[in-house]
Amino acid sequence: MTILLPTSSAGDTEGTEVRVIEAARMSRVPGWLVILWRNGKCRIGLLMLLVFVLVAVTAPLIAPYSPREDAFAGALGPSADHWLGTTARGEDVFSQLVHGARTSLVVGLVAGTLSTAIALAVGLTAGYLRGIVDEVLSFFTNLVLVVPVLPLMVTLAAYVPVKGLGLIVVVISITGWAHGARIKRSQIITLRTRDYITAAKFAGDSTARIIVREIMPNMTSLIVVGFMGACLGAIGGEAGLAFLGLGDPQTVSWGTMLNQANTGGAMLTGQWAWLVAPGVAFASLMTALTLVNFGVDALSNPHLREN
Amino acid sequence: MRYFLRRLGFFLVTLWAAVTLNFLIPRLQPGDPAEAIVSRLAGQSQAVDPAQVEAVRKMLGTPDGNLLQQYGDYLSAVVAGDFGVSYTYFPYTVTHMIGQGLLWTVILVGVTQVVSFAVGTLLGAWAAYRRNSRVDSVITLGSTFVGTLPFFWLALLLIYVFAIGLKWFPEGGGYGGGSNPGWNWLFISDAFQHSVLPAMALLIVGPIGSIMGMRNNMVQTLGEDYARLARAKGLSRRRIALTYGARIAILPNVTGFAMALGGLLGGTLLVETIFNYPGLGRMMLEAVSSHDYPLMQALFLYITIGTLLANVLADMLYGVLDPRVRREEAV
Amino acid sequence: MALLEVRDLSVTYSPRDAAAVRAVEGVSLTIDDGEFVGLLGESGCGKSTLGSAVLRLLEKPAAVTGGSVVFDGVDITAAGEDEIRPLRWAKISTVFQSSMNSLNPVITVEAQFADTFAAHPGCLPPDVDARQRAVDLLEMVELDAGVLRRYPHELSGGMKQRVALALALALSPRFVLLDEPTTGLDVVVQRAILDRLRALQSEFGFAVLFISHDLGTVMEMADRVMVMYAGEIVEDQPAEAMMSRQLHPYTQGLLGSYADPRDAELGVDYVPGRPPNLADPPAGCRFASRCQVAVDDCSTVHPELLPATSGAARCLLVERAGGTPVDAELSGRFVAARPATLDEKPVLAVRDVAKHYRVRRRGGHTVKQAVEGVSFELRPGRVTALVGQSGSGKTTLARLITGIEQPTAGTVSFTPSDGSALDVGRLRGRRLRAYHRHAQLVFQDPFGALNPTRTLAYALTRPLRNHLGLSPGAARQRAGELLETVGLSPAAQYLDKLPHQLSGGQRQRVVVARALAPEPTLLVADEPISMLDVSIRAEIIQLLDGLVRDLGIAMLYITHDLLSARLLADEVLVLKEGRVVEEGPTLQVIRHAEHAYTKLLLDSIPNPRTGSTRRNSRAGGTAGLPAAPVIRG
Repeated sequence: MTILLPTSSAGDTEGTEVRVIEAARMSRVPGWLVILWRNGKCRIGLLMLLVFVLVAVTAPLIAPYSPREDAFAGALGPSADHWLGTTARGEDVFSQLVHGARTSLVVGLVAGTLSTAIALAVGLTAGYLRGIVDEVLSFFTNLVLVVPVLPLMVTLAAYVPVKGLGLIVVVISITGWAHGARIKRSQIITLRTRDYITAAKFAGDSTARIIVREIMPNMTSLIVVGFMGACLGAIGGEAGLAFLGLGDPQTVSWGTMLNQANTGGAMLTGQWAWLVAPGVAFASLMTALTLVNFGVDALSNPHLREN
Repeated sequence: MRYFLRRLGFFLVTLWAAVTLNFLIPRLQPGDPAEAIVSRLAGQSQAVDPAQVEAVRKMLGTPDGNLLQQYGDYLSAVVAGDFGVSYTYFPYTVTHMIGQGLLWTVILVGVTQVVSFAVGTLLGAWAAYRRNSRVDSVITLGSTFVGTLPFFWLALLLIYVFAIGLKWFPEGGGYGGGSNPGWNWLFISDAFQHSVLPAMALLIVGPIGSIMGMRNNMVQTLGEDYARLARAKGLSRRRIALTYGARIAILPNVTGFAMALGGLLGGTLLVETIFNYPGLGRMMLEAVSSHDYPLMQALFLYITIGTLLANVLADMLYGVLDPRVRREEAV
Repeated sequence: MALLEVRDLSVTYSPRDAAAVRAVEGVSLTIDDGEFVGLLGESGCGKSTLGSAVLRLLEKPAAVTGGSVVFDGVDITAAGEDEIRPLRWAKISTVFQSSMNSLNPVITVEAQFADTFAAHPGCLPPDVDARQRAVDLLEMVELDAGVLRRYPHELSGGMKQRVALALALALSPRFVLLDEPTTGLDVVVQRAILDRLRALQSEFGFAVLFISHDLGTVMEMADRVMVMYAGEIVEDQPAEAMMSRQLHPYTQGLLGSYADPRDAELGVDYVPGRPPNLADPPAGCRFASRCQVAVDDCSTVHPELLPATSGAARCLLVERAGGTPVDAELSGRFVAARPATLDEKPVLAVRDVAKHYRVRRRGGHTVKQAVEGVSFELRPGRVTALVGQSGSGKTTLARLITGIEQPTAGTVSFTPSDGSALDVGRLRGRRLRAYHRHAQLVFQDPFGALNPTRTLAYALTRPLRNHLGLSPGAARQRAGELLETVGLSPAAQYLDKLPHQLSGGQRQRVVVARALAPEPTLLVADEPISMLDVSIRAEIIQLLDGLVRDLGIAMLYITHDLLSARLLADEVLVLKEGRVVEEGPTLQVIRHAEHAYTKLLLDSIPNPRTGSTRRNSRAGGTAGLPAAPVIRG
């Protein structure tokens, strides 16, 4: 719906990419990771993220009980046996919290990857081919952008008979790609008019090769930015849907925990730990991702670089 | 003028696409959608009223019905504002039910959206004006941090602290039992009391987009040549910040305003559910959980059209504020 | 006392994630009331940074790290912003490099004048109406009052620059700093603005610091010229004296790169090499590595800017010669010489070609005739120059010839030595790709023509593998040979570099090498030197010239610059609004131009010699030395 809107992260990213390549030449790690690591805020974010990943991977070892084991007394406050108390149904809150990290990260990773892939495909095609293809794809992008996401998710989720994590991932992916697609489109439009693209045509390269070998390398940081943004959106979307009770009640996630805490009357019984812990965990994960995003954003947008 | 006509054209096409999307979504599932829904209703251990089956049929057509025919019927029904009968609030029509909740949501969202935009833009401009100062750090870091908090969780905490703990505000609902809906002082003050917490929940998160957008745009415009020239001209810092910074930086934010509305409407779904607020958001959730498809579909359409309208208004405003949009005509 | 006095000024950029760069180092200069001073320097020499420091507009990460700027008795570097504000615009005003972006896009021109007056309430006499004053100012720069109601985007580049100039004079300042005021404008527009500026300056008598990389404009306009190199002033002389006797070897190289295309015989010089990295400047003279006459001491002793017979110079040799110039013995000199070539059969024939574009306008479409009825031929071993202003259809012709676009009417036919004629306008897909084996392009911008993420080896091997079908190993070997051909030697040192590790000149050599890779018959060079520093332009011209003659390539050389056309081309076509208005052998077209437009183009070229006659007549013939014959160039 916008015209003349300078999207903050869709400028000329070539300078950035050169720094990325330079950094990669110095070490075996991907260049963008090296540059991110150099940024203070971003380093904290990466470390926090690492902790979450470790917790998610080793969840069964860390959690004292199975998250759905309801053999305990219900609605207990925090104690030595149950650090964060138990749910109304008698499950261990701490164990659920630990397993919830898995759900969030898996949803973030999978839905983030999916919607980045859609965004990339749509953005690249529209931006490179232009003409009628661009008109049509841009129209769809703008359409998805203006349709309110959560109501759309809710509507889509309501029709599908099988509730589960897979559904949520799919719904989040097909509602969350538009913003990334638009940014990538405008980026490729700047890049495709570069003389080196014309030069590649004169060198006899095919369109596919030009996109993959000449244009894509100039967009890696933008793709990383888009992926981080998509992860943030996906994790938030999962929590929201689960909280509204549209997820699979059997999946242990922070959203379902809050949903059950809300409906289970955690507020009335004063079980603050049951209510606070999932929120804090969620907020920390989001903070970690946002901090990483700070670095990525500053990397791709020289105007925001700290000085 | 051409710009405005083009925007209007885009609005109409998008509107049509949204209506069509709404038509297609229920038909995406395999088999006969109406049959699937009827059987699901039947499985819900409630007696299926024949009139409800009729309503489902009316909405989704017969299995052998021509899709194009259905589409035509659907379009004319939408144009007439006829969305059929609600399953849950039988025999009320969907349109009637939406009428019940519309005003609640429009007031709640309208007020919080405008306040969010105003507060956000001001804070963002202030941060940019004092960029790299303590004020800037507090505003940017603060809004970043608040932005990471799950918003429905904040709403729960608000209830926990202000309604259950301090008992300053009611826990939920749109108005108390003591007042009757109408234009009387008792009701209005009561409704206001009830809307404070939901509004707060929306207002905590609402301005963040505007803050960050405004700050980053303005930092950028203040670094442009025209702002440098304004400094060289000896204009005061405040004057530069207003005419050369904020005046230009606010333009992309106007478009952001409409985008934010989509998010806010999503937010009302959560907020109204948590606060049991009698608006469209809660109604939609109830429609979903009780498989009231006609109501849900109509609500989705209403919400989408609302966002579209806001977008079109924002685009029009943009056209008025930015002389450069006329550039399109010259090319 | 001098109006502006800069003492020992240093400016340092300290970015967070890179080494600090001292962009301006110990600069001292003075400008008197009414004086017109030029500051000449190439890209990255610190001239614009110096300008920003004088205006106190430096922004992080740049900061003054030493010295002072005193204007009219006020120390600008030490005073608070509130003390400086009354000085701004009322006494010191400026016109920026890119006026395209120096006007506020969302307010009208009138509002930009109004806020200037409003910021300085005392500066406008109470009986003068602000609007009337704005109208008068616009009249001074030959714009009508209607411009007041317009927004910047509704004005052309030249008009915007005129508005910026009118704005700069709004409060009758005593000093105006002009930072590349005509860069990016057409020669004809530039000529009009420079003439206007000159008239206004002699009428109002404000002092000017004119910063530019363009030798011609600076030498023509200024009374006194300072030359900046690698953050330092290396020479300071009256323009007359500098024209006749340059002190510093670098200045000799710079002035050697200029010549009047109408001269009967001409040659230009260039200075090989590139400026030092200012993050780690050399201990001795900063020019030593490029200097042909440098002695051992030059690389260890840092010279001072010392008075010479006329003006001052920063050179050990000048110092030791008692302030007299030394002969720089420039190594690179390119002399325009057109060997008589055999009349070979043309490889490319353009006949009656037209290209029309549909342009969307208010209420419908209009047709823009980008090119109309153009015919010419290109022959092996010969260069045809296509000369014209921007928008004259030069680039459209290049696109038609290379098959990127198809002509609306007429034909472009290509006849390889061993085959039958191809209709270029009909080639698509694979056949177009095959045609590009024969027809290659050299681009204007050396920074945009190479993919920043790809090594030189990649860029050079692609055409070799696609067009010539070489194996990866053979292609790499051949890529190395190509680099040697364009003078990047030893090739092994360059093959795995990324473009940003090269200087602009080196990149342009790589671009040429890539165009040569498929052994083309036809080369289209679109302004290949206009983005390069003047001191190295002749170097690339020499390279192109040698390749065309040695390899027997037919070349179309597209340019707005008549000097380079004169140096390189056998024939010249002058293009105006899509039509050829004059054509013929280079010498004839340039020395005996017949069409009024060709004459206008020729007259628009900044000319240091007209500058000297102007200065003499203004000063009653007393200032400076009499215009002596030019030694070099």
